Amino acid sequence: MKISSFIGFLRRSLMHLEYRIAQAASLDRQFAPALAVQGPSLLKPSQSESDECGQSTLLDSILWMAAPKKRRTIEVNRCRRRNEHKLIPVKNNIVPCPECGHLKQKHILCGFCYERVHRETALIRGQIQAMEGGPLKNPAVETVVLYESCRASSVNRDAKTSLSSAPSSSSCIPRPA
Amino acid sequence: PGSPCPPGRRSACTRSPLGWATLLASFSNLHHANFHTTATVDAKNWERKNRIVYPPQLPGEPRRPAEIHHCRYQIKYSKDKMWYLAKLIRGMTIDQALGQLEFSDKKGAKIIKEVLLEAQEMAVKNHNVEYRSNLYVAESFSGKGMYLKRIRIHGRGRFGIMDKVHCHYFVKLVEGLPPKVEQKTNFDQAKEYVQQLRNRTIIHSL
Repeated sequence: MKISSFIGFLRRSLMHLEYRIAQAASLDRQFAPALAVQGPSLLKPSQSESDECGQSTLLDSILWMAAPKKRRTIEVNRCRRRNEHKLIPVKNNIVPCPECGHLKQKHILCGFCYERVHRETALIRGQIQAMEGGPLKNPAVETVVLYESCRASSVNRDAKTSLSSAPSSSSCIPRPA
Repeated sequence: PGSPCPPGRRSACTRSPLGWATLLASFSNLHHANFHTTATVDAKNWERKNRIVYPPQLPGEPRRPAEIHHCRYQIKYSKDKMWYLAKLIRGMTIDQALGQLEFSDKKGAKIIKEVLLEAQEMAVKNHNVEYRSNLYVAESFSGKGMYLKRIRIHGRGRFGIMDKVHCHYFVKLVEGLPPKVEQKTNFDQAKEYVQQLRNRTIIHSL
């Protein structure tokens, strides 16, 4: 079966080569007028050949593809799937955060503390936006963020714009010690 | 020891088959569940294990540790992928397991963490567990849920049937410290095997 298909493949490749040589020699048989004798007689076999070509090359390629010989048993499959390198390794770099007590990885910031800081900065930014009132309106002086607890500090308020972090709508954020 | 079975729920189950069907329907959110009740009925065995009541212990007996069974059904995840996470936390204390799952990048880790926290809460509320950290994961495994089938279109007019996979996850928490598993070295295992071969007797010999 394989030998015959190989011979067929050779035959087809020779035909293809012949066609290509004829094309190079500028004998355009494809575009030859219907009255010419040689045209149709050569067109038909080439057409039929091309039709066969399409199907048989597909079948050929299927024959030459790799395929499993036997069904892999569940024991073999389990050996592969449950191998040591496929299991999830146990992490030994999880420590409690000294600030809040939630768990964190040694080389990564604590998620809880980060979220807390993120929310606080969002509030501060909201206040700044409210004070400025629009884009590109930031003042040329330094901005100082004052918390409610340190309102009575000795910061010079005239020179710098200051904002308190306790507007009437939101709750008072305790200053981290 | 043992948990008091909620009386109202049980009576509702045993009263009428219609009530049982509606109860099942409320558990599983799929439309298929109304027609195939066998899969969900078998799956409820795990929750029934929470209802077993042991006879009172004798004064000299060692204290029987509390056991809490919890599960979640029809999780949209693959059972094979879930197995790896279940294997990870087997034998760990609950705090260690929660820590590992929190920093795992897998989708199932979040779900298993929720299940473990629910089970911990159940343990403290219903199963007379004193300290919520004094629990360890005795059993943890995943099972195949009900699959939805869809058509996956290939080229040249061919098609395949795509499975939308679901899985169940089961966990059993036990009170106390986890039992220490002795790690046998490879050399010890080999020595044992050789010793077993040497202990064989030859039958029908002189």
